Amino acid sequence: MVIYTYGVIDSKDTIDETIFGLEGVGVHNVSYRDIGVAVSELRQKLQEITDADVLKHEEVIETLMTKFTVLPIRLSTIFNTKENLLSMAELYYEDFKDNLARLHNKAEFGIKVIWSADTIKQRIIDAYQKTKHNVSISSESPAKTFVKEKFEKHIIDKEFQEEANRCIAVVDDYFNKIACEKKLKRLQTENLLLNASYLVDKQRQNEFRQAFEQLKNTPGDLKFLFSGPWPCYNFVTLTRKPASVDYFNTEDMLNRLLAQQGLAQERNSV
Amino acid sequence: MDRQIKTLQDKNSYLDLRKQERVTLLEILDRALDKGVVISGDIVISVADVDLVYLGLKVLLSSVETMERLRGAPMAGAQEEPT
Amino acid sequence: MTMNRTIETDSQEAFIEEIEKVQDVLPKRIDANPKNVEKGLAKLVLTLVELIRKLLEKQAMRRIEGGSLSEEEIEQMGETLLKLENKMQELKEIFGLKDEELNLNLGPLGDLM
Repeated sequence: MVIYTYGVIDSKDTIDETIFGLEGVGVHNVSYRDIGVAVSELRQKLQEITDADVLKHEEVIETLMTKFTVLPIRLSTIFNTKENLLSMAELYYEDFKDNLARLHNKAEFGIKVIWSADTIKQRIIDAYQKTKHNVSISSESPAKTFVKEKFEKHIIDKEFQEEANRCIAVVDDYFNKIACEKKLKRLQTENLLLNASYLVDKQRQNEFRQAFEQLKNTPGDLKFLFSGPWPCYNFVTLTRKPASVDYFNTEDMLNRLLAQQGLAQERNSV
Repeated sequence: MDRQIKTLQDKNSYLDLRKQERVTLLEILDRALDKGVVISGDIVISVADVDLVYLGLKVLLSSVETMERLRGAPMAGAQEEPT
Repeated sequence: MTMNRTIETDSQEAFIEEIEKVQDVLPKRIDANPKNVEKGLAKLVLTLVELIRKLLEKQAMRRIEGGSLSEEEIEQMGETLLKLENKMQELKEIFGLKDEELNLNLGPLGDLM
């Protein structure tokens, strides 16, 4: 028997309504102090997650959202015993309380934007050909030719990045003031210009939707995807991280290395 | 004639539905796979390799420092054979 | 039972294509199989070498942009960069590694390169 978890909720009460989760097992609340974790007990650990499981996981969280504030738990988070689950709740209690308060009555919306990277690049290349850069490199040798090509690629890429930033700023402008928080992921692929998540208060959700309608109707070659309301996946912030042999804390590590580098630079400039 | 058109329409709506389902699944995965309450560590790199990567990054840091120092002398390192 | 969640787009196919590309890049476990261990280690080492090489190239481009280099210096730089790129290509072939494989996923921070 394992305990499959769906979300952390701001209630220690039993869940009135019958909610069915993975493998058709009912969802119940395991309470810890004044909060709880919505779970269902599975006979054995999932060998693999199916599409249906993913949909079910999401469905359970969204149903819970109609009654509680929910911190969605990542897919396939499983505990072997109730004691382990409660230890976790104890460890993260403050974090959970903070997040539940912050995310109360809010939902996440997603805006994705696609552009034609090839078209943009071509436009840049055409413009570049017309006004040759000040720096001229005469190609007399393979080394010089190599550098010249690299340099052109560099200039084109630089302009491409700047165009992306400009474009993203225009899109973000529609939603910036309506949302409480935002997370923008730029150029996850060349064509996926923007993958944005916005945290929006319940009362402003219609306004947010209207803003998208306006954005949608602006002239241009951008493609849009609007989704929501979602559970606040992108806005759960945990300050506490587990100390586990298997866990590679990249963020911590990189911050430390960067801090060291900062010191190194200071030393050099003295 | 009418029946042919109807079949085509059905096929398109079927495809649209499948695409919509696919989009829905992808949108959910975009969030539920690695966002939200993430409390179990990702077992991406085993312990031995963690040390290796850490060391590797430390080596990188030294190289960057060296690069910074060399910035004064234009490509002084270019004289030597790159290791 | 679901909320009034909507997913609206004018181009399902385009988004399916791009999002699938993104989700393909899930962190993969480095194989502990002894046969593959060497390849795994080579991948790590070469990834970092590749990072340094790319940083060097980027730095070189910035200097050219700044216009502070003589033709001779550009020539020297070009030779070094060309050698480095060719060497990397050799090493990749020796270990049977592709460009896309030389990357590190830093979890929440995205990919290294």
